Amino acid sequence: MLGGTGSGHLTTPLLEVAGLVKHYRTGGLLARTGAVVKAVDGVSFTVAPGETLGLVGESGSGKTTVGRTVLRLELPTDGVVRFEGTDLASLAPGELRALRRRMQIVFQDPFASLNPRRTVGASVAEGIEIHRLAPKREIPQRVANLLEEVGLDGSYASKYPHEFSGGQRQRIGIARALAVEPRFIVCDEPVSALDVSVQAQVLNLLLDLRDHRGLAYLFIAHDLALVRQIAHRVAVMYLGTIVEIGTARTVIDSPRHPYTQALVSAVPEPDPAKATARIVLVGDPPSPAAPPPGCPFVTRCFHPMKDERCVAERPRLRPLDGRDVACHYAEVNAVGGR
Amino acid sequence: MTRLARVGLAILTLLAAFAIVGPWIAGDPNAQPDPVNGSLLLPSPAHWLGTDQLSRDIFARLASGARISLAVAAIAVSVAAVFGSALGLAAGAAPGLAGRLLQRLIDLGLALPRIIVLLVVLAALGRMHYVLLGVVLGATGWPAVARLVRGETLRLRHAQYVAAARALGAPPARVLWYEIFPGTLPAVLVASTLGLADAILLEAGLSFIGVGIRPPEASWGGMLYEARDYIGSAPWLVFIPCLALVAATSAATLLGDALRRSLQPETR
Repeated sequence: MLGGTGSGHLTTPLLEVAGLVKHYRTGGLLARTGAVVKAVDGVSFTVAPGETLGLVGESGSGKTTVGRTVLRLELPTDGVVRFEGTDLASLAPGELRALRRRMQIVFQDPFASLNPRRTVGASVAEGIEIHRLAPKREIPQRVANLLEEVGLDGSYASKYPHEFSGGQRQRIGIARALAVEPRFIVCDEPVSALDVSVQAQVLNLLLDLRDHRGLAYLFIAHDLALVRQIAHRVAVMYLGTIVEIGTARTVIDSPRHPYTQALVSAVPEPDPAKATARIVLVGDPPSPAAPPPGCPFVTRCFHPMKDERCVAERPRLRPLDGRDVACHYAEVNAVGGR
Repeated sequence: MTRLARVGLAILTLLAAFAIVGPWIAGDPNAQPDPVNGSLLLPSPAHWLGTDQLSRDIFARLASGARISLAVAAIAVSVAAVFGSALGLAAGAAPGLAGRLLQRLIDLGLALPRIIVLLVVLAALGRMHYVLLGVVLGATGWPAVARLVRGETLRLRHAQYVAAARALGAPPARVLWYEIFPGTLPAVLVASTLGLADAILLEAGLSFIGVGIRPPEASWGGMLYEARDYIGSAPWLVFIPCLALVAATSAATLLGDALRRSLQPETR
């Protein structure tokens, strides 16, 4: 189940994630017997060169943790992450730092991701200096070029982050990531914190950069409508596991997992003839500290065939109709019509 | 900056100017022109603030004392800031056992009663140059700064821009120096300004007890010590250095409070 199921790409994957697990231990100094929060509980996927994989899920589904563990900003509890065929866990700290040139991250919160005490130019130049990508006297020109590439004025380099709007800061964050000429960028909800009008601009910038630079993205979002605009493939996460993964068209146009169906039904449909009833999920997802032993979605599932098997046995991802889905009764559509 | 903070800054600046220029225009603080008839004189054109029991000019002693007392406090605060910052950064950033050991060291420093340690150390060392006294005071003042900086370091380590720097491949030392250390400076500045008031009072107290600046050298605390027998007959001998102490410590406190209000809540 490791390979790029449903990807349609024949190239070797740029990024390969297999059985990724990240557990956190809760409880402080006094409570030594803290619970284990299973933020990510066995996630596998691949990203091909130039490909965008959308990672969708609600808050707490573990999608941000996946992004951070993939980049080893946090250490995985278990599982393998290979980048360009290299197991990241096998690298010495210095080797890993060198490899960081090739994989970058754009954060969700543009107000927290830039150091308020450094000029924009210093932040953008950071990667160039670390990896010695240009002689010192050429750095200002490089920084100006990068700022222009993301649609900002090159003279902004001497300003401080507080002088910019959220959208502008997000562009600065993108320029900082581009400075080291990566092949792969984790976009961790890069537009969620922005105004709707600005969201489209930043999204278009990411699309342009992907085309011009041949970038691959792991595009993390909670908004399926957004993912549809940028992702080639989509993975839907629920409570630390992927419940459905396949090409964006397949997953979004004919979702098989009840949770995906609920997400899709929440996307506004401009054509009233096609619009279907919105599925409103009842209740909150279970705590990742105490997930159900069977299907993680069972507590909120509306599938008519839901039974004891769902409570007792965790469904594995299995191929069905051109995508992988983790539901015992995925053959039977939970909602009519779609 | 609030008006009170401006007042604080103005008073501190004036006192600093007085400490630098005063001793030049005021003459010898130890001269005893007329111990028989010229002692305990009221303020007059010849002696602007009067004379003490040995006929020494109080203005000259106040100026000389300002230089010594403020210099001791400034040195003490600087030493504590530099040493405390370095240790706090190391304790906050060092992984695993090293970080925990450094934290225990800071706890140990905090647990030692500063004034008792100083009494013992200063009594043992005897008379010393005021610069050295400042260093000794600073050497007991670092734990508070270190604890503060360690807390700031732990907080900033989780900042998203620190994660961004790590993602770019910045080695730990570079992250610490460029991303974390500048973020701790406002807290250190606030603590040092407030600590200045503490250090002034501490030096005054030690000199009053007799282990700080020792007679005949002038210091504000020492002047109080020497004046204590004349509080009934020549109360200005007590009031004048007291006033200087109150002015300096409240100015530092006002400024520190204002700095804290403007620097601590991260202004964006």
